[in-house]
Amino acid sequence: MVNQLEIRNLHAKIADSGEVILKGVNLVVPKGQIHAVMGPNGAGKSTLGKIIAGDPSYEVTAGDILVDGESILELEPDERARKGLFLAFQYPVEVPGVSNANFLRLALQAKKGEEVSMMEFYDRLQRALKTLDWDESILTRYLNDGFSGGEKKRNEIMHMMVLEPTYAILDETDSGLDIDALKVVAKGVNAMRGPNFGALLITHYQRILNYIVPDAVHVMMDGRIVTSGGPELALQLEERGYEWVKELAVTGS
Amino acid sequence: MERTAALSRDQVIEVSAKLGEPRWLLQKRLAAWETFAKLPYPTPRTEEWKYTDITEVPFEELPLELPTGKPKAIPQAVRDRLAQAQLAGYAVFVGAELVHLELPEELRQQGVILTSLHQALAQYPDLLEAHLFKAVNWADWVGPQQNRPENAKIPALNAAFFTHGVFLYVPKNVAFSKPLGVFKYLEGGQLSGSRTLIVAEAHSQAVYIEEYLSPSQVPPSVNTSATEIVLADGAKVRHAHIQLLGRGFYHFHRQRALLQRDATLNDLVVNMGSSLSRAEVQSEMLGPGSFSEMLGLYFTSGTEHVDHYTLQHHVADHAHSDVLYKGAAKDQSRTVYAGLIKVAQGAQKTDAYQTNRNLLLSAEARADSVPQLEIGANDVRCSHGSSTAPVAPEELFYLMSRGLPRHMAQQILVKGHMTDVLTRIPIEPLRQYIESIIEEKVRI
Repeated sequence: MVNQLEIRNLHAKIADSGEVILKGVNLVVPKGQIHAVMGPNGAGKSTLGKIIAGDPSYEVTAGDILVDGESILELEPDERARKGLFLAFQYPVEVPGVSNANFLRLALQAKKGEEVSMMEFYDRLQRALKTLDWDESILTRYLNDGFSGGEKKRNEIMHMMVLEPTYAILDETDSGLDIDALKVVAKGVNAMRGPNFGALLITHYQRILNYIVPDAVHVMMDGRIVTSGGPELALQLEERGYEWVKELAVTGS
Repeated sequence: MERTAALSRDQVIEVSAKLGEPRWLLQKRLAAWETFAKLPYPTPRTEEWKYTDITEVPFEELPLELPTGKPKAIPQAVRDRLAQAQLAGYAVFVGAELVHLELPEELRQQGVILTSLHQALAQYPDLLEAHLFKAVNWADWVGPQQNRPENAKIPALNAAFFTHGVFLYVPKNVAFSKPLGVFKYLEGGQLSGSRTLIVAEAHSQAVYIEEYLSPSQVPPSVNTSATEIVLADGAKVRHAHIQLLGRGFYHFHRQRALLQRDATLNDLVVNMGSSLSRAEVQSEMLGPGSFSEMLGLYFTSGTEHVDHYTLQHHVADHAHSDVLYKGAAKDQSRTVYAGLIKVAQGAQKTDAYQTNRNLLLSAEARADSVPQLEIGANDVRCSHGSSTAPVAPEELFYLMSRGLPRHMAQQILVKGHMTDVLTRIPIEPLRQYIESIIEEKVRI
C-alpha cells in the first residue's frame, strides 16, 4: 500500500457557474510529511483543499484524488473524513444549538464508527487544550458561535488534534492571526507531526513556515502547481514575490 | 357497531344525554350545531385558509368517538412519557375516557382542581357555566361584523360534538411551578373532539402541558381541540400544546387566552405529528401590563402539512406580546404560518413582536409565511419579520467534513435553527423530549 495523499492531474470547476479553477494539479504528500502550498490570491489553493474534502459546490472534471492508493472522488465528505481526511476551514461555520464539545464527540464517534467513552474523549480534549494553551470554557460554547476569528482558527486545530486525521489540509489557518496565536496554532500542528500524519498547509504568506518547517513547498498559480522545492523556496518567494514564478509558469519549465 | 352516518342534531342530543350534561350545555351544543349545519367548510378561497386545503378531510365520514365505559390501560407511549416528564400530577385520556388522574394532595388542599370536564360539570357547575365557551366560542366568527363565517365551522363542530376534556382551576394566590401534564391518547379511525378549560385566579401561577399521542400510523382520523385559558389579574400560566399524532390524523386546534391586568402567559405550541394539522393560537391582552409569550415549533416530513395562525390582540394599553415561531420542513412537506398583530384604538404603549423563520431541508419542501400588522394606536412599538431559507450547503459541508453523516449534520442544523425557541423552554425534561423528537424526525 502506498502511504500518501495523491492529487493526480486534477481538473475542477465551480458547479454553478462552470468557471474552471483547477487545470491539472499534480501533488503527492507522503504520510509523515508536511507540505506547503503557496501562491497568490486566486491561484486555486483553497479550492484545492475544499475539493479534497468533498465540497459539493465544485465539480471534478478530470483527474483523481487518492488516499493511500484508493480513489475518494466518489465519496461523500463524511466518508472521506472516515478515510482519515480533515480540512481545517478558512471560515468555520457558526452553529448555535450544539456545544463545541458535544459536536466534537459526535464527530469522533462518527469517524471511529463506535461509541467513545467520556473518559477517552476528555483525555483527548485535555491534551489538545494543553498544547493549545486553552481553557475549558471553549467547550461549552456553541460551535463557533460568536467565536473571534482567532478562536475559530484555534478551534479548528483543536478539532484536528482530537480527531487525529491521517491527512490534514489547513486552509489559510494562519491568515488573520497575530504572532502569538500563530505560534499556538503551529504548536498544535507540530504536536501532530509524526510517521502517521501528513499535512497540506495552504498559505499565502511565508510567516507560518517559520514555525512549521515544511518538508516541501509547492507554488500554485492559475490552477496548477508551477514549481516545487524545499523550505528555501518559501524564503525565495518572500523575498522576490510571485512575479518570477509567473515567468516560470509562462515559459512552462 | 360503529356508526358512519352523517352528523345530525339527534346525535348532538344523544351525546349530551350520554354524558349526563346540564341543560345549559345542551343548549350551547345545539346552538353550535345550528351554526355548523348552515355553514360551508373553509376553502383556500377563505383568506385564513389560503394555503391549506381541507376538502379531503373526512369530517363527516367517521364514527364519532364516545366514551365506552370499558376500563383501559395506560398506553405504553404515555407510560414512556410519564417516566421521563417529571410531572407534579397528570391525567391520561384514552379516546374519550379518562383512565388515570393524579393530583398531589398538597395542591388539592390548596384548592387546585384538575379533573375531567364532565366530572367538573357535576362538581363545580357554577365555575363551568361561568367560564366554558368564554374564550373559545364559534360565535366569535359569525355575526354582522364577520365576512368569513366559515371560520366558525370547525369550532362549531368541536362545540357541538366534543366528548371529553380537562378542567384546571387554580385559586387566588396559589402557585406551583412543577408541571401538570395531560395526555390524550387517540386510537384513530374516528372523529374525536375535546376541550380544555384553564382558569387561573388572581396572582396564581400554574404550569400545564397537554400532549396528543396516537399509534404512528392510523386510518383517516379527525381530531378537534379547543383550549380556553382565563387569566385573572396578575395570574401567570405556562402552557404547552404538544401534538405528535400519527400519520393519518387531521388535527385542528384552536386556543384563546384572555389576559387581565398584569397577567402573564408563556405559551408553546409544538406540531410535529399528523398528516395535516392546523393550530390557531390567540392571546387577548385585555388588561394593562399583561404579557403573552407565544412560542411555536414545527417540523414536517413526507407529505405532511402544518398550518399555524397566531393573533396578538392588544385591547389594553401598556401590554406586551412576543411571538416566535420556528419551523423546518423536509421531503415534500409543507408549512404555513400566518400571524397578525392587532392593536386596538387606545392601546398605547403596546410592545408587540412577531417573528417566523423557516428552514427547508429539501428542494421540494415549501414554507409560506404571512406576517401582518393592523395598528390602531399611534404610540406603539411593533415589529414583525419572517424568513424562509434552505439549509446552507456550506454549513452541511462543514459538519459532514468532520465525519458526521448527512442526517446527523441536518439534525444539528435543525436544532441550531430552533435553538432560540428551545432555550426559552425552561422545563428541562420537556425540552429534551422535543429535541429527541427532532432527532427522530430527521432520521426517518
